[in-house]
Amino acid sequence: MLMPSNFRFLRDKVVTVALAVLLLAACASPAASPPGSAAQSPAGPAKGGSLTFAADTEPVTFDAHVSAQDITGAILRNVFDSLIAQDAEGAFHPWLAESWEVAPDLKSYTFKLRKDVTFHDGTPFDAKAVKANFDRIADPATKSQLASNLLGPYTGTEIVDTHTVKVGFSAPFAPFLQAASTAYLGFYSPKTLAANAATLGSGGPAAAGTGPFVFSGYTKGQQATFTRNDAYAWAPKTSAHPGAAYLDKLTVRFLPEASVRIGGLTSRQVDVAAAIPSAQVKAVEANKAVTVLKTDYPGGNYSIYLNTSKAPLNDPKVRKALQRGIDVDTNVKAVYFGQFKRAWSPLSPATPGYLAALENSWPYDPALAGKLLDEAGWTGRDAEGYRTKDGKRLVVDWPLLPAQYLKDQRDVLGQAFQADLKKLGVEVLRPQADIGTYLERVYGGKADLADYSWSRFEPDVLWLLFNGASKLEKGGQNGTFLDDPDLTKWTDQGRATLDEAVRKDVYAKTQQRALDLAIVIPVYTQSQVLGLGRNVHGLTLDANAWPLFHDVWLDRPSR
Amino acid sequence: MRTLLKRLVAGLAVLYGAASLAFLSLHLIPGDPVAILLGPATTASPEVRRQISAELGFDRPLLTQYLGHLGRLASGDLGSSYQLQRPVGWLIADQLGPTVQLAVAAIVVALALALISAITTAGRHPAARALASAWELTAVSLPSYWLGVLLLTAFSFHLRLFPIIGGDGPAALVLPAVTLALPIAGVLAQVLREGLESALAQPFALTARARGLSQTAVRLRHALRHAAGSLATLAGWLVGTLLGGAVLVETVFGRPGLGALTLQAVQNRDMPVVMGVVLVSALTFVVISALVDLLYLAIDPRLRGAVVA
Repeated sequence: MLMPSNFRFLRDKVVTVALAVLLLAACASPAASPPGSAAQSPAGPAKGGSLTFAADTEPVTFDAHVSAQDITGAILRNVFDSLIAQDAEGAFHPWLAESWEVAPDLKSYTFKLRKDVTFHDGTPFDAKAVKANFDRIADPATKSQLASNLLGPYTGTEIVDTHTVKVGFSAPFAPFLQAASTAYLGFYSPKTLAANAATLGSGGPAAAGTGPFVFSGYTKGQQATFTRNDAYAWAPKTSAHPGAAYLDKLTVRFLPEASVRIGGLTSRQVDVAAAIPSAQVKAVEANKAVTVLKTDYPGGNYSIYLNTSKAPLNDPKVRKALQRGIDVDTNVKAVYFGQFKRAWSPLSPATPGYLAALENSWPYDPALAGKLLDEAGWTGRDAEGYRTKDGKRLVVDWPLLPAQYLKDQRDVLGQAFQADLKKLGVEVLRPQADIGTYLERVYGGKADLADYSWSRFEPDVLWLLFNGASKLEKGGQNGTFLDDPDLTKWTDQGRATLDEAVRKDVYAKTQQRALDLAIVIPVYTQSQVLGLGRNVHGLTLDANAWPLFHDVWLDRPSR
Repeated sequence: MRTLLKRLVAGLAVLYGAASLAFLSLHLIPGDPVAILLGPATTASPEVRRQISAELGFDRPLLTQYLGHLGRLASGDLGSSYQLQRPVGWLIADQLGPTVQLAVAAIVVALALALISAITTAGRHPAARALASAWELTAVSLPSYWLGVLLLTAFSFHLRLFPIIGGDGPAALVLPAVTLALPIAGVLAQVLREGLESALAQPFALTARARGLSQTAVRLRHALRHAAGSLATLAGWLVGTLLGGAVLVETVFGRPGLGALTLQAVQNRDMPVVMGVVLVSALTFVVISALVDLLYLAIDPRLRGAVVA
């Protein structure tokens, strides 16, 4: 089907984004279109035009195998394809691999590759290319910050024949299919790997992939440009159409200042703008030329992790008191103008395996929190009104990230929590120093609280957050410093099976237990808030909530 | 000749001092350099960390690292960025063009504004002076960040005169240059007016008038020459600071530039980049102060005599 109907698009459930669906539906039946939308647009996708996407951050490195940044994966998704594609429901579809087989012990995955795929530099895509890329990621000399972790206990890739590979692991590794669907495990042409391995971080034409766009240029501090790959004919079924992209050109403009991104959007200099701040969403929505697209990020919510390895938070009662003594609801609503959902679980609702039963199960209860602190022996009060035990004040150390790493006004939110806990008689210290000091305190287990989020469309993120082996100093993210036998067992089980029922069960138990142990205080679910001009159609978000430009077309070729 | 040699030695000393200071101050930042390089959100394994540490020489003694850096620099090799994995020479060359463009455009605009403001109002009616002084003081105190957003909103988002897209080309240079120039123009105008007024108050101004020169001619031909000396020094110094100090303007306008590169490098402790930028900046200052001295000779004939004698 060359010109896919919008209905097929809907049927495939590619998109969860109501607005994109609405826009497409509007194209199919102009009568149903909301005022000021695409009623005047041509009936179907139009080829041509160039689109400008204003991003808020710039990748430090454009090397997909090295970078750990979301923005790198998001931008490079246009350049690199994956072995398989994952839809919004979590189901997998063929992409560069026509089919795959998983060994019963989950220690090896065999992929049958498409035979008609070529890289931007003309090199054919084959088994050797897969091996060269995976081996590069696993090589310590590559200094991979994320991709090597996604490859898990990788042992090597065996070339079965020209178009068949067998990827092996030293232990059962269920999350591999999801990992293989991300741009971080995308494929560079073996030719460019050999010639340009050390300079792939600079992007540009050296970054030859198989994707719908060719990386044509990069000016650091300004923009990256991409042009259509006319030969592209292997989009996955999660795309609305299989062939080449509609846009002639895609420009990613780096504009860190939110008001500039918004101004560019409303003055039509920018077609799509990332990261619209909560405070401005209402104002942007009021503009008739622009719509706002909001999607929750999957993975680990923005949560506070409690260091259980030392006093005072080695006492479960004190931990529970903090968990129930913070008014998450009110503060998240106030700071984010009602734009972000408060979180009930360490896992985002957009992640498969999310335990909805946790919602409303641990509401704000300062009376209970006070009682728990009394029971824990923190009954004295000092001159400033803080609780004491044996003459020592109840102090919690929660280092604040240096300004350049702070996002979403989390420092302001933290101040509100600080005030809540002060009412309970708990002093929260928020020292702000350089990143070196921060990491030393937090990763070294000297701090009491740490706050972070971790996006990934896979409940295995719970392994990263709570497994006993996921130690911070080893590249893990378990800021609770707790090796709970149950949490470790369940998260190990979850990554060792593809049985959906088993995974659902162990991940539900993990979320419940993490909250019961009060080692985590989930705070809010991060949202990707995109602003887009009404001339933009067919924009969808992938499972990681990043925009996909392959299906995008414009009303009228502009600029 | 002696002066030139002296200057050269002094310049080299400045470069050496700047490189050493940069190295030392970056090492004063506490914490594990590899952890800082990777930042807070990473799943890099201990093997990857060891690899990075060994490759970048963090495991060697401080003195070895210091001498290594100096040796490399002395041989003209700026090294490769830890984080961006590109040669520092390329990085700086890439960013230097837009930076120089912006700095030169800003200083030209600032000088023009300052000359107009000061020459037309120096020694005139108190009300005119007060008005000029008021705008200059306002311009000086405007935060460039805020000014940039304001200019963008008015001239790009509403009037659509200057694009924010397509950051190259002269049209894209106008708003950032004006943003940078306004506060500088304020300072320069104040200094210039002060100089003009003190020159106009001197007896030679009266003599020139008595010789039949018009008021304007006295201002432009005589008083301006007297006042230009301090202006040149100040403008030279300002150009130097503009090279690395345009970070806020670069951020607002999403422009490439040395400022953003420097900030990122310092935050990430990217030693080769920091050293490279520091060297380039120090070199620029040395060159500019030499140029300003030459300019003095052109402005003030009395100095020429002094050199010969």
